[in-house]
Amino acid sequence: MIAYVVRRLLWGVALLFLVSALTFVLFDVLPSGEPARLRAGRTASPQAIAHVRQELGLDKPIYTQFYDYIKGIVLHFDLGYSFYSHASVSSLIADRLPATISLAAGAVVIWLLTGVAIGIVSAVRRRSWLDHAAMGGALVFISAPEFWLGLVALFLFAADIGKFPILPGAGSYTGLLADPGKWFGSLVLPWLVLAAGFAAIYARLLRGSLLEVLGEDHIRTARAKGLSERRVVLRHGVRGAIMPLITVLGLDIGTLLGGALLIEVVFDIPGVGRLNYDAITQSDFPIVQGTVLLAALFIVLANIVVDISYAYLDPRVRLR
Amino acid sequence: MLHKGARRRTAALSITALLALGLAACGSGGESSVHQKAGESPLGQKLYGKHRGGTLIVYDHEDFEHLDPGEAYGAEDYTVLYAVTRPLYSYPPNSATTLKPDVAAAPPIISNGGRTLTVHIRPHIYFSPPVNREVNSGDVAYAIDRGANPNVANPYFGSYFGDLVGAEAAKGGPIPGIETPNKYTIVFHLTKPSATLFYGALSLPLSSPVPPEFVKPLDAHSPTTYGTEYLVATGPYMLKSNSQGKFLGIGYQPGKSLTLVRNPNWNPHTDYRPAYLNQIDVNVGGESSVIGQQVLKSTDAVQNDSPAPSIVQQAYQHYPRQITFTPGSGTYYASLDNARGPFTNIDLRKAVWAELDRDAIVKARGGSLAAQPMTHFLYPGVAGFQAAGGAAGLRVDYNEHPEGDPTVAAKYMKLAGYPSGKYTGSKTLQVVGSNGEPEQAMAQVVNQALQNLGFKTHLSLLEQSAMYDKYCTVPAQEIDVCPNVGWARDFADPQTVLYLPFDGHAITPSGNSNYGQVNDPAINAAMEKATLTVGEPARADAWAKIDDMLVQDAVAAPEVYASDAQIEGSDVEGVDQLWNSGAWDYDFTSLK
Amino acid sequence: MTTGAADILVAGEGRVDLLDPAAAATGSAGALARTPLQLFWRRLRSDRLALIALGFVVLLVLVAVAAPLVVQIAGVPGPNVLDPNATNAFGAPLGPSAGHPFGVDQLGRDVFARVVYGARASLEVGLLGTALATLIGTVVGLLAGFHGGWVDTLLSRTIDVVLCFPVLLLGLGLGAACDVHGCAAGAIQPGVPTIIAIVALVNWTYIARIVRGQVLALRERDFVLAARSLGASNTRILTREILPNLLAPVIVYSSLLIPQNILLEAALSFLGVGVRPPTASWGQMLADATPIFTTAWWYMVFPGLALLFTVLAFNLLGDGLQDALNPRGQVTHT
Repeated sequence: MIAYVVRRLLWGVALLFLVSALTFVLFDVLPSGEPARLRAGRTASPQAIAHVRQELGLDKPIYTQFYDYIKGIVLHFDLGYSFYSHASVSSLIADRLPATISLAAGAVVIWLLTGVAIGIVSAVRRRSWLDHAAMGGALVFISAPEFWLGLVALFLFAADIGKFPILPGAGSYTGLLADPGKWFGSLVLPWLVLAAGFAAIYARLLRGSLLEVLGEDHIRTARAKGLSERRVVLRHGVRGAIMPLITVLGLDIGTLLGGALLIEVVFDIPGVGRLNYDAITQSDFPIVQGTVLLAALFIVLANIVVDISYAYLDPRVRLR
Repeated sequence: MLHKGARRRTAALSITALLALGLAACGSGGESSVHQKAGESPLGQKLYGKHRGGTLIVYDHEDFEHLDPGEAYGAEDYTVLYAVTRPLYSYPPNSATTLKPDVAAAPPIISNGGRTLTVHIRPHIYFSPPVNREVNSGDVAYAIDRGANPNVANPYFGSYFGDLVGAEAAKGGPIPGIETPNKYTIVFHLTKPSATLFYGALSLPLSSPVPPEFVKPLDAHSPTTYGTEYLVATGPYMLKSNSQGKFLGIGYQPGKSLTLVRNPNWNPHTDYRPAYLNQIDVNVGGESSVIGQQVLKSTDAVQNDSPAPSIVQQAYQHYPRQITFTPGSGTYYASLDNARGPFTNIDLRKAVWAELDRDAIVKARGGSLAAQPMTHFLYPGVAGFQAAGGAAGLRVDYNEHPEGDPTVAAKYMKLAGYPSGKYTGSKTLQVVGSNGEPEQAMAQVVNQALQNLGFKTHLSLLEQSAMYDKYCTVPAQEIDVCPNVGWARDFADPQTVLYLPFDGHAITPSGNSNYGQVNDPAINAAMEKATLTVGEPARADAWAKIDDMLVQDAVAAPEVYASDAQIEGSDVEGVDQLWNSGAWDYDFTSLK
Repeated sequence: MTTGAADILVAGEGRVDLLDPAAAATGSAGALARTPLQLFWRRLRSDRLALIALGFVVLLVLVAVAAPLVVQIAGVPGPNVLDPNATNAFGAPLGPSAGHPFGVDQLGRDVFARVVYGARASLEVGLLGTALATLIGTVVGLLAGFHGGWVDTLLSRTIDVVLCFPVLLLGLGLGAACDVHGCAAGAIQPGVPTIIAIVALVNWTYIARIVRGQVLALRERDFVLAARSLGASNTRILTREILPNLLAPVIVYSSLLIPQNILLEAALSFLGVGVRPPTASWGQMLADATPIFTTAWWYMVFPGLALLFTVLAFNLLGDGLQDALNPRGQVTHT
């Protein structure tokens, strides 16, 4: 077991290294912002730009630059410096991370509760109108673009511009420590919009999985033993059916922690996703490199956690 | 100056231009109504005797770019800089033509045939903590010296301070042409008789005093940390800082917020600014239309940059006392690549000029209150505007119809060698515009005009800074049309409107402001002569003639003259800076 | 949303069974032996919701192909025609009216025409991008599964690396980097080709994994071993035995990818790196609508509904295909 964990962790580190290298190469090879020109200023002469390039180390071969970059990360947690924002990448990311975590955490809670509940009810009342409505609704929420749902939500409920102004609108996010009430209020709409699509997927997933499990032998046995239907479903059914959800949940959390870009843009939440979007449009390459690495880190971690829990539960996996 | 979010300086509006707007005077005379008459304060209200105290909330869609007075070059940044630092001379909010002595005690003494300026500095001006001491002439000298330092890289040093003796070789060290005989006197020696222009340039932030003992070590970093982490104030306000003078993370969080508090060492007896407000809180970011709503419904908020066109309508119809329009905020035009590609042909350029629907662009910017069709390159309020044709401009056939004239356009297409009236060449035009709110609509109107003429186009809409920094200011990128460029003057001289954008000698391989790479020897020669012309009326005439030449050469396709709008909350008594495209002046604004 | 792909990942672990010839012959058809294909059609035909969805998709494709004709019949101006009379004095667009049933945008362009033409961008990217991803994924999966050994390890590890990249960020970055002059020395032009490339790049891994899994399973099946013992070459085994059995899962999974890719194109266009203006795209129209939707609701509603219905139809179709090809599993919708 330990051997498996170690192997997975080592491979995780290797993955991050490869992702970092690929991003470096990708944005170096493709035409993108010239940091030296950005730094040198509007009216800089070619000599001035060359001088700045030299100072920034941009004239060194790319593998040297990459080596310096990795060294910086490993030894100093230094992810580079953004000339556009006049701040270090790590400080910018640290500044934006709490908002993304707030957004993800709340959404996860909402979609798990609703998704699981709806999934169970749908499976139990299979083919009833409730089932049809729930699954139909789920399909609609999966099919709707989440940024559009966000715009519709703002159009209807935003305090400053909505038709029924009951919730704070875009751009009202404040930190949890600064003002908990406002923090909560500003996140309600984003949470609901973000959770909607996921809840739909999880409901469908659980319904399918539960129906399969409920058809199996041990369920029939449980019923034959005289256990109440509720017990059968919740204790024995859901327990067996929940596995695929856990897998997907891990991956989804990993992806969300890298920044729910669309929601952050629509609701103007200062999270990591928004940071990345702004950086890309401004060709602020050091930030892009940093945020991509961060997002990849979360995905890799999530994968590792999921794999290890699988290996824990299913010994055959470790042998792979 | 480059156009950014809010626009640049303006001047008092001429009456004809006002009448051309066809506006009913919002006769109730509310302070935020449309401008009344030329020469009066644009707001029809007094600047002094207002209520002291309070915190102003500012919403700013765009972030600040440079807070270092040695680097800043844009209206956004100026709103902070002119509250925090004081140049030698400055324009009060109700003028864009007459400079007031600021750090200087009096207008400069010009001697030696226009080659020497002597400026006396006011005593008893103090730096903010932690420097605390009195400002002297050495501080002004250092401020200008550092403009040549590559770690500071001032964008207008070459254009306006390049005539100083020894400026060419300067790299941040003391410039020989700047002399400080005593601590309250500074003398500038120029290689050419360009003192009039130099005097105007002393109103730019570069001349704001900078304490060398504090800033020199910061300027040793590349880039300098002065303006990114530390800033020393001479104005009524300062960026909220810690005891070492560091504001980063305290008074300024990039992309998020900026806070101005009172400068405890500001001496009101040396300053014509009243500084009513106690604090200014700027919130950066957010959707422009949402910001607009928030401001209009608030009591104590303003928007720093121009409101979205939909907000303009809403404000004008429902909150008329909370919106001001500042005519003469600058120009918007589409640059055409004069150096290579199809537009080296003057007839093709004239065809585009004729075909472009300038009225549609007026609408895209919010209608005739917010813009008027542009007919030549000097704009309302700039000296020489009337001499160059005023609102109608030079009367040539391709300039006659702002709604677009396909017949005239076809005529020039034929003259260019396309008998069908449509372009049949193989070149696909590379068109790079901005994805901002009215900008992308303007770009698409231009794109449509090009396609109407038969051109195939590749239109890319990018973030405004990327559009400028990566493409439109880099000749090597070979961009045929930049539909979202524009210009506003740096100070009250027509040279600042025409030289950098249209003189062949001003072309640089990067950071190029002559977007179209206009390089006509006759025009270049005329400009060189005009830079040395002395006296305002003569200069106005000389540059008006150059404006005519630019029109006859169809160097670019004009779009609109901007009348930037500004919005405020209901309890705000905003005063806007005529010289800075109507941006709110924090030194004069107050709350009821 | 990327989790749609997670759906596939989980489903891939044994959810959709192969169309097993042995099982089919003795399947629900009873005494009559039907070919798998016939069984598939029968099941699909009885699924009314999927048929409606299929009808909608076919209709949409026709509308997209015949867009100029549709616009002409509707009597509205083309998608790029600027109508100065359709905006008021402040430049604000006017709402739905007789001449413009869906209203106009800030430039006075007819929204109905743009919605119709916008179908082109969505379908091009959704269908072509998915097709390209499927092609690449199938080839890679075949190689990995069939060859095994170091080829498999190398390809599987490559898939792992690609899957680590955040999808939207990668798409944004590539889209922004390829702007104006294009990428790969002009081989990938900005606009639709870039998005198709991005879609293919982001999706091929799912198909590759599934194909690899299926090939691995198939390699050891009786009929393959039988063919091998008869002396069939690798190529013959690949083309005769394995590929036909891949058809079903590949079709199902790529059909599940199509709606995801349509949403991806919309998201990228919304963020500004999509199709080039003035080409109409639903995502871009929603981006344009963002600053004005409080006063110009039509500009947000109609493209959004178009997206919703299109993606919904493809999702329903995908579900139907999945059910039709899965005789033993649970029906995903009733």
